[in-house]
Amino acid sequence: MTQPVSPPRGSTDKVPQAQLPAWHGLVARADIRTLSLLGVLAALVVIGGITKPDEFLDTRNLQLVLTQGSVIGVVTVGMTFVITSGGIDLSVGAIVALASVWATTLATQEYGFGGILFTSVLVGLGCGLVNGLLIAYGGMVPFIATLAMLASARGLALQITDGKTQIVTSESILDLGERDSYVLGVPPLVMVFAVVTIIGWLVLNRTTFGRRTVAVGGNAEAARLAGIDVRRQRLYLYLLSGLCCGIAAFLLIILSGSGQNTNGNLYELDAIAAAIIGGTLLSGGRGTIVGSVLGVLIFTTITNIFALNNLQSDVQQIAKGAIIVAAVLVQRRTASTT
Amino acid sequence: MPEPMRFPSRFASRRGLLLGTAAVSAGALLTGCTSNGPKDEEPAADTRPAADDKPGKQVTIGFAGPQADHGWLNAINDNAKNRAEKYSDVTLEITEGSNDTAQQIGQIETLINKKVDVLVVLPADGKALTQVGLQAMRAGIPVVNLDRIFNTPQAYRCWIGGDNYGMGLSAGHYIGEKLKGKSDARVIELAGLDNLELTKQRTQGFDDALKNYPNIKKVARQAADFTVESGQAKMAQLLQAQSKFDALWNHDDDQGVGALRAIEQAGRDDFMMVGGAGALSAFQAIKQDNGVLKATVLYPPTMAASAIDLARALGQSKGVGGLAEYEIPASITLYSAVVDKENVDQYMSTGFR
Amino acid sequence: MAPVPPLLSMSGITKSFPGVRALDGVDLDVQAGEVHCLLGQNGAGKSTLIKVLAGAHQPDGGTIRWRGEPVVLRSPIAAMRLGIATIYQELDLVEHLSVAENVHLGHEPTAAGFVVRRRLARQSTSALLKRLGHAEIDPARLVGELSAAQQQVVSMARALSHDVRLIVMDEPSAALDPDEVDNLFRIVGDLTADGVAVVYISHRLEEIRRIGDRVTVLKDGRAVAGGLPAKTTPTREVVALMTGRNVGYVFPERPADGVPPTGAKPLLEVRGLAREGEFEPIDLDLRPGEIVGLAGLVGSGRSEILETIYGARKPTAGQVLVDGRPLRPGSVRAAVRAGLGLAPEERKAQALLMLESVTRNVSVSTLSRFSRAGWIDRGAEQGAARAATRELSLRPDNPSVPVRTLSGGNQQKAVLARWLLRGCRVLLLDEPTRGVDVGARAELYAVVRRLADEGLAVLMVSSEVPEVLGLADRVLVLREGRVVHTAPARELDEHRVLDLVMEGSPAS
Repeated sequence: MTQPVSPPRGSTDKVPQAQLPAWHGLVARADIRTLSLLGVLAALVVIGGITKPDEFLDTRNLQLVLTQGSVIGVVTVGMTFVITSGGIDLSVGAIVALASVWATTLATQEYGFGGILFTSVLVGLGCGLVNGLLIAYGGMVPFIATLAMLASARGLALQITDGKTQIVTSESILDLGERDSYVLGVPPLVMVFAVVTIIGWLVLNRTTFGRRTVAVGGNAEAARLAGIDVRRQRLYLYLLSGLCCGIAAFLLIILSGSGQNTNGNLYELDAIAAAIIGGTLLSGGRGTIVGSVLGVLIFTTITNIFALNNLQSDVQQIAKGAIIVAAVLVQRRTASTT
Repeated sequence: MPEPMRFPSRFASRRGLLLGTAAVSAGALLTGCTSNGPKDEEPAADTRPAADDKPGKQVTIGFAGPQADHGWLNAINDNAKNRAEKYSDVTLEITEGSNDTAQQIGQIETLINKKVDVLVVLPADGKALTQVGLQAMRAGIPVVNLDRIFNTPQAYRCWIGGDNYGMGLSAGHYIGEKLKGKSDARVIELAGLDNLELTKQRTQGFDDALKNYPNIKKVARQAADFTVESGQAKMAQLLQAQSKFDALWNHDDDQGVGALRAIEQAGRDDFMMVGGAGALSAFQAIKQDNGVLKATVLYPPTMAASAIDLARALGQSKGVGGLAEYEIPASITLYSAVVDKENVDQYMSTGFR
Repeated sequence: MAPVPPLLSMSGITKSFPGVRALDGVDLDVQAGEVHCLLGQNGAGKSTLIKVLAGAHQPDGGTIRWRGEPVVLRSPIAAMRLGIATIYQELDLVEHLSVAENVHLGHEPTAAGFVVRRRLARQSTSALLKRLGHAEIDPARLVGELSAAQQQVVSMARALSHDVRLIVMDEPSAALDPDEVDNLFRIVGDLTADGVAVVYISHRLEEIRRIGDRVTVLKDGRAVAGGLPAKTTPTREVVALMTGRNVGYVFPERPADGVPPTGAKPLLEVRGLAREGEFEPIDLDLRPGEIVGLAGLVGSGRSEILETIYGARKPTAGQVLVDGRPLRPGSVRAAVRAGLGLAPEERKAQALLMLESVTRNVSVSTLSRFSRAGWIDRGAEQGAARAATRELSLRPDNPSVPVRTLSGGNQQKAVLARWLLRGCRVLLLDEPTRGVDVGARAELYAVVRRLADEGLAVLMVSSEVPEVLGLADRVLVLREGRVVHTAPARELDEHRVLDLVMEGSPAS
């Protein structure tokens, strides 16, 4: 009889490898794409430092940039998974809006901190579940299913708020957004963003879930014929995106001290843009959490530099568009030469 | 003249020009909602009748507005409804609010076909709905155009709305007076959505007012987009950019919730802030007077209640009490009063959520 | 008669894609006014060749002469300017435009350079359709409303709207009814009478008999025969060229008789398995250590059978049993859990993650073995993948390289390594040497035989008769979705099998 050829674990270590220093792999893997993003970020830091040395090169400003990037950053981590699997989630902004208003109704606020956190996450997961079921088991195209979710979640958010701003009264929530709660200078929002990023990186790169995500995005038919449950994987992915939206909604509640149906406006585009300039393939099969986070930081830093220099939103938008085009062009160039 | 003319009178006369035939205080006389006559103890919009509150001829008023996706628009609907309920001789036909031009046209056409006596229209887009306004006027239904103005005066019998330029003026003058005598005073502006004409007008009014105060310099301006989230984000950046300034004007109290949050998070209290529009939360903060928010300039949603009054008067072919004319005016621009600690109590009931 | 250069002369055309040499020095001469048929199995290089001819692919080597002059077809437009038009199998029409708009797409008759003269376009379209014998098609109708046959006529009208000297038709009869095929042939006759050359691609031999003048047979990216007379070359010779060996393949030794013992308990049992419209009920036993081959031409249902056994297609009748236990029908996961593994025909589309390393391609079906609570032990994964690929002598001996850089044969080994690692017991091989360079095949055959010797049961499908006969222990011959013959391989020879796969076809 044939045995699986996997040798006993001990023997794998003896397989001679092309021995290279440990850092070599890191550099090779932190490929040119990532390095070019770091280069862009470094260039932005230089520009910020030259134009506004006092305001830009300042701990408070670093805290500000990271805090402002936290909400969209968490959403982008979820989006990166979805895009890596060959899908798209257009409903992230709407889910953030719905979760943030549901979690800040007077009824929910009575349950205080826990109620608000629980509701945010639950609403996010609920929307993700609907997306996932429609796409994985209902056979709907992700673009359409999540577009429908975008419309309905926004509508429901409006219905809940009646267009009113729901102000949060819970002190324990509000405190988390204030300086007193910084730990060693790190705002709690940034800590959540960092934890989500690290977990996201580990899950995508070190777990079967991440591997299956890449397989489904790279070649869904091959994944299916290799025995992967492609549909269940898709369901989980949209659930994950919904979960990230729920967490982001909670962060946004802390940040803005309120819930409003207009929250999360155009997050879907910001998250997709950050993931794409980060190096995640829109067609699926390759995703990078590090790249996505760098993409978010680049956008947030641009906004910061422009605001510090008192440039107006029209100029900011033009610059944002130019950065997306430039980043993608640079990547195409580097991708074709390697 | 009632008390609110606290700025030099040349501005009042400018307003008079703006209004054409209508007197500066027409709106105030009509409804009381925007005036703040100090002797008037009653809260504004809800209780004071218009021209004449004796029951008269039955009037059916059709009301079409945009989707209430913002606190201010929601307040518009509430004001219209509550006002109509006050009158036993008024029946209000109110449509489901819509931001879709085609849908709103359809709704208004339905109201025309139902042969309502008077129409009150707050168009989602004033230019795009001009035609249907003309249509109603030709069908003999007088139109009260609320706030977002049609392309041509032929499309309405009476326009009533707020004054965005005036908001900027009021805010600028209030800040100017408060900072009088302070040399090298620095002011920043948190504007609304830059895509909108009204944001430009507000900024223009603000800048024009500040020109009267050579000691003041506007050092920064960033545009948010009327949402709490954007207010917080942009204000946070402004605070980082400007380590020292004396006053802030924020165009909109909704985004002001976010702006206040950012100010609180940055731990700043070394300046005064003036808001815009007139949200309840802003009024409450002004009354408590324990933060930076010291005043807000009105863009009163009570205009919807006044529009109902005007529509009723039109339906009953009556003039406006307190004015010499037999007819109601063709155009009424509301005054952007400044609400601060002194007078906030009387506005409290008009604040929207 | 002075030698007139052929209208088109391609010589020594080569074209490689990552991992495979699609064209390996192809020659093709086409004379004005002839119907030149291009024959070959799937993957023989036909579509690559016509794409080179259409200017859609740039060849790596070789020359193309047009009326004796060397030309470079840089783009489809360049080919069109010379008078070369291609009608692809998947018609490239815009469904939401009218017939006239489609016909003139890209070269609309215009006034002042940009105003489309619609009436003129309609008139010229009408004239073209009339010439094609389809005056009943209204030029103003949307293409999406037409039947497949009518769409093909539109596609042809589009080709003729240029000043065309050579038309390439890729399997034009595939979607047509018999009388529509007759009309197609009439059109082809009219065209050649006007001096237009037609390159006609089909695998239906009877059509080639009817309209062809000469035949070129492609196999493994080479022209194994050029310019044979289409009417007189014996069918068996043509089929032998298409399916036969062109190099001395080296097949591994079969085990001695009685190994595996004929009485041994079957590992895989297929009972009355069928899919309506694809193949009729089939029964099959597969024992450990045995290689069974399915032989048949394109359209005989061979791949469909394999995919249905594997659960990738849901059967309309019958069942599959492993160790006597029935598998849940239509479930790949159930099949994989029971120990089945498939190496599909379209390796890149159906098996490989082209952006990923060899390791990840190999481990994708076995991830849970290297993980605890979803956490992958990458050292163990890498080591196991390395052991599995070494076992198959996969080159290069470095599983970290991207799988797309591998040759076709080594990509196939990566797929086999995946199932080997899983401990798969029944291996389903669909065209195992498709896209594998001829020289590398012997090694692959040896690997398959060794796996069988180690106790795997192998079911393979191949359109190359010598391959089936050389590798399999037992052969099932398929024709039009039906098993027409079953016999031990050593009792069959190539001629017998060729007769069986073609038996009853009009061309034999």
